[in-house]
Amino acid sequence: MDTIGSLFHGFAVALTPGNLLAVLLGSIIGTVIGVLPGLGPTASIALLLPVTIGMDMVPALIMLAGIYYGAMYGGSTTSILVNIPGEAASVVTCIDGYQMARDGRAGAALGMSAFGSFVGGTVSVVAVMLISPFLAETALKFGAPEMFALLFFAFTCIGGLTGKSRGRGLLMACVGLLLGTIGTDDIQGVDRFVFGTLYLRDGIGLVPLAMGLFGLGEILYNIEKREETGSVLETPKSLLPTLQDWKDSTWPMLRGSVLGFGIGVLPGGMPAVASLLSYAVEKRVARRPETFGHGAIEGVAGPETANNAATAGGFVPLLTLGIPTNSVLALMLAAMMLHGVTPGPLLLLKWPDVFWGVIASMYIGNVMLLVLNLPMIGLFVQILKVPYEILSPLIIMFVLLGAYALNNSTVDVLATILFGIAGYLMKRFNIEPAPLVLAFVLGPMLENNLSKALIMARGDALPFFFSRPISATLLTLAILVLLYPLVRAGWRWAANRQPAQRRA
Amino acid sequence: MTVDRVLGVGAILTGIPVTAAAWGFGVGSPKSPGAGFWPLLVVVAMAGLGSWLIVHPSREGVVAAAPESRWGRLWIALATMTFYVVALDRLGFPLATALLLFVQFRWVEGRPWRSSVWIAVLAALVSFVLFRVLLKVPLPAGVIPLPRGW
Repeated sequence: MDTIGSLFHGFAVALTPGNLLAVLLGSIIGTVIGVLPGLGPTASIALLLPVTIGMDMVPALIMLAGIYYGAMYGGSTTSILVNIPGEAASVVTCIDGYQMARDGRAGAALGMSAFGSFVGGTVSVVAVMLISPFLAETALKFGAPEMFALLFFAFTCIGGLTGKSRGRGLLMACVGLLLGTIGTDDIQGVDRFVFGTLYLRDGIGLVPLAMGLFGLGEILYNIEKREETGSVLETPKSLLPTLQDWKDSTWPMLRGSVLGFGIGVLPGGMPAVASLLSYAVEKRVARRPETFGHGAIEGVAGPETANNAATAGGFVPLLTLGIPTNSVLALMLAAMMLHGVTPGPLLLLKWPDVFWGVIASMYIGNVMLLVLNLPMIGLFVQILKVPYEILSPLIIMFVLLGAYALNNSTVDVLATILFGIAGYLMKRFNIEPAPLVLAFVLGPMLENNLSKALIMARGDALPFFFSRPISATLLTLAILVLLYPLVRAGWRWAANRQPAQRRA
Repeated sequence: MTVDRVLGVGAILTGIPVTAAAWGFGVGSPKSPGAGFWPLLVVVAMAGLGSWLIVHPSREGVVAAAPESRWGRLWIALATMTFYVVALDRLGFPLATALLLFVQFRWVEGRPWRSSVWIAVLAALVSFVLFRVLLKVPLPAGVIPLPRGW
């Protein structure tokens, strides 16, 4: 069966009333749960996996895919409205999205985020079905050295996230890497920096870290700084993006789609890496890079598109190779096994209904999310009209509740509060938390792939990394990104020196 | 003292115990890296960046006290959250949350007594039902008796 024919078959599967209902339910449940702070896609799918056991295989998988999408979208909503990232991929959205909300442009940010997600998802689904067999082969060529090079390149872009001081951003990123080493080490099984506690052996949780540094830190800062009656957030001026917003977002969305899909299909290429790289790219090519961090719509549109494109792209290695590229897809893999489907090269032959049905439903899910979410923007923005003095304690409650719900343990609540205090101090002294959180996510994967690559290299690390074309290209790019400010500083220094010498 | 210099000194000081610990985990060699190899690399990068910040601090973000600070409220907020950590398992979610919210509404945000009480109780109950009954998150009921089947 050719691709187009198969896709029609997929739509025939996905458009049956039962499966349509599954997409609809999945998207709605995902969005609603994703909007609750602290419950990201992983938690949503984990909570709802048991519900699907009684269902048929195809609708169950379609519904779980819908939950995944919906929750990714819901996570962005809280990033924009209250500066709490639902999961790692929407950390970047906090930077400009929340600033936009503070300037009364929450509607524009939410609208562009919804539309960007739709574009990214759609482009990615089309790409999945056209080139997935070919891409599956290429993705297999991505070994440890290539993964390390890609992650290292993403890491070097972190320093540019803040703009004010690259050195400070990179230092915070190193702190994030160091926090990421806490816990039992993957390869040797050695306990690192656990100080004899059981809690730290599993490492610090991403959710307490991100919710504390972003959400709680922001709330504590506002408690201290806020005037008696003043509100922190401005009432939204309009619910829709302006024509200028659309113009500014077109290219970021297109670039984000391509970038996101490309990264999503790689084993280990998480949506978080895609959104981070998209932000870095947009900032670099922007005509006014100084607006980034102060509510630049490109900083919302690009990463949000990339993150959804990567989400859909991640289904390629999952469905064709049986390799889950992140924790949510690992749960999807578990769900498939639960229903008796083994993902891998045979999936297409043995269960064409599953493969093409899920892909077609992903497309329908994207349309549904857009239709569902655009009218919801008005409702979400109403949250900002609640007086901040009522909103602020409620956000604290949701953050602490979300932390507790992770493992039903108060230790996570305590960790969130401690990171909240750290986030407050960082906010107070003008230190951006995003590099720390992103490096924390990338760190363990960087280490793991570096160790594997070094063992593969048998001592000749540099020639080994540079003899492989993909890793050589990525590492060269990374070095250029790192050295660029030094080179520029050198030029400036030389330029300033010449007139001085002439005077002397 | 600029923020950058404080950060730089902090980074270098953090480096000392971490290096010692990394040595303890076993650094290994580039051929077969040990568990301490990566922490050591990170700490070396940190010390390098820290030194750079000490020599070239940016002028932004000089440490200064906020003029209209509301320190008292910040301390009350932190104290109630700490209380919450201790109280959550003992008093249960509904009671501990209602208390947390009430103190925040009344003394951190300065709302009137009556509205502080009812919003706190309502929000605690609604979120308890939402998470415990609908999402099956096992929030502790504590001292509040539950209806059968919850």
